[in-house]
Amino acid sequence: MRRILAGVETEYGLLVEGHGAEDQIENAMALVRVYPGECLSVWDYRHESPRADLRGFQLEHLAVDPIDAKFEDGRSYGKAEDIRSDRILPNGARFYNDHGHPEYSTPECWSLRELALHDAYGETVALEAARAFAHSSGKEVKVYKNNTDFHGASYGTHESYLVPRSLGFEALYRAVAPLLVARQILTGAGKVGSEAGDWCDYQLSQRADFFMEPVNAETLYRRPVFNTRDEAHADPAQWIRLHVISGDANMMPACTARKAGLVKLALLLALDGEPPVWNLRSTVQAFQRISRDPDYRFEVELEGRSWTTAYEILESYLSAAEQTVELDEELTALIHECRALMASLAANDLGPLRKSVDWAAKRGILQSFMEEEGGSWKDASMRAFDLEYHNADPEEGLYHALEQMGEIPVYASAEEIGDRACGNEEGTRAWARAIAVTKFRSHVRNACWRTITFEIDGRLIEIELRPDMIYGRHLSEANDVGTFVRMLRGEV
Amino acid sequence: MTDGERLPRPLSPGTKRPGEDGGPAKPEIKRPEGGNELLKRMKKVDPDQAKKYRQRSGQ
Repeated sequence: MRRILAGVETEYGLLVEGHGAEDQIENAMALVRVYPGECLSVWDYRHESPRADLRGFQLEHLAVDPIDAKFEDGRSYGKAEDIRSDRILPNGARFYNDHGHPEYSTPECWSLRELALHDAYGETVALEAARAFAHSSGKEVKVYKNNTDFHGASYGTHESYLVPRSLGFEALYRAVAPLLVARQILTGAGKVGSEAGDWCDYQLSQRADFFMEPVNAETLYRRPVFNTRDEAHADPAQWIRLHVISGDANMMPACTARKAGLVKLALLLALDGEPPVWNLRSTVQAFQRISRDPDYRFEVELEGRSWTTAYEILESYLSAAEQTVELDEELTALIHECRALMASLAANDLGPLRKSVDWAAKRGILQSFMEEEGGSWKDASMRAFDLEYHNADPEEGLYHALEQMGEIPVYASAEEIGDRACGNEEGTRAWARAIAVTKFRSHVRNACWRTITFEIDGRLIEIELRPDMIYGRHLSEANDVGTFVRMLRGEV
Repeated sequence: MTDGERLPRPLSPGTKRPGEDGGPAKPEIKRPEGGNELLKRMKKVDPDQAKKYRQRSGQ
């Protein structure tokens, strides 16, 4: 069956004792630079094109949040590459400063489980860097795997899916946008209160308040539900990297896998099957209405004065996938899991969801606290608990306490997650990158998702890492860089 | 949040432990010591933590 290469990039919230948002870029730079693990600082920016739009044009500039502009106050941070402080890790991942947030981008993965494990391993990387920064600065440092500061600033957890260029924008948008609106009921991380419009006690999505348009290429301001940044991270003549920015950071690896799995179903339908057709009256309003629905009816207004629900939208994808595309065991299991969770949710039985969906788990502990200790959703402490659910430190975070108490099934052992430090044995192109930066690092002049440039005997040799190839275990047996390069070219 | 349900209860005298009579034994499940870890952590949280938490907009 067709496989879709995917990755998750998470910008972590960063809190440094005595420092504010105005210090955040310097802090994130310093944190990334003191990361104590093995890494290589040679990221190649040549193929980045954040202003290119999938619809065939280029933005003159990206919009910036006007509040952020005030933080600058004439500050200068140096060259762009110094600010980003990119590190390539021994597993082929990228760790860097993205707009003041330490960001961990997973190695590319084929399977949902591998993707979820690598995303979870990113917490270890962020935490190790935070502890090293705390030691070097003498200040308390915390990192949060969430997407909001509760004051109107949001930062992203993005997903990337590589699909053939021939699919095109229109087909992608039609197939994926309704799913992005609906999937939050099974994947949202949950948030106390609102940061736009009327107050609500609790909502499913951390990001919903920040969407202003259905579709555009922006990411920092005027964010869309469907992002059209056209930066393929591969040969752009052949590939589109679907850049999904509307999802939340998930603490539960099972939620991460579900989040990506649902998008993969929509993409498989667009590529090989028959995606359901939904004409939403307003993509943005539908997203926000679902996020805030306290009754879990999740009604969605359609064009032509009719209505549906998020349940029906999701079920239409599940049944279409069963009927029209070839599915592996993982995606088949995903469909069964989604149906079971939706049945519980529709029956207002949140018990199963509290073990499987972040928004429900978080809501459960906050409600229990209020019942036992008193208080209301508007108390400042509720937002503090919300934030601490996402604390990446297993000794402090509320999510981690739930897992340690057995309230949430353990998705993988700490050892299994820790093994992701060594690479992705599925044989994606990340495996080649991992070997290059560990075994032949003295020859690597630069590298990115798409290419690695080696210097051998004074000559620069650029290797394109084709994203659809399997990079076998045998690559690690290369004893010299020349053999490794020949292996990557398929000459050995 | 169901602290009481999680407390280990003493066996009454003479009660056989599961597995002692050849039946299946329950697997050992490691729990944090000291009761409800979640509640302990929640009580340590600075109630104004989120009020003080200000971030730059990311992507």
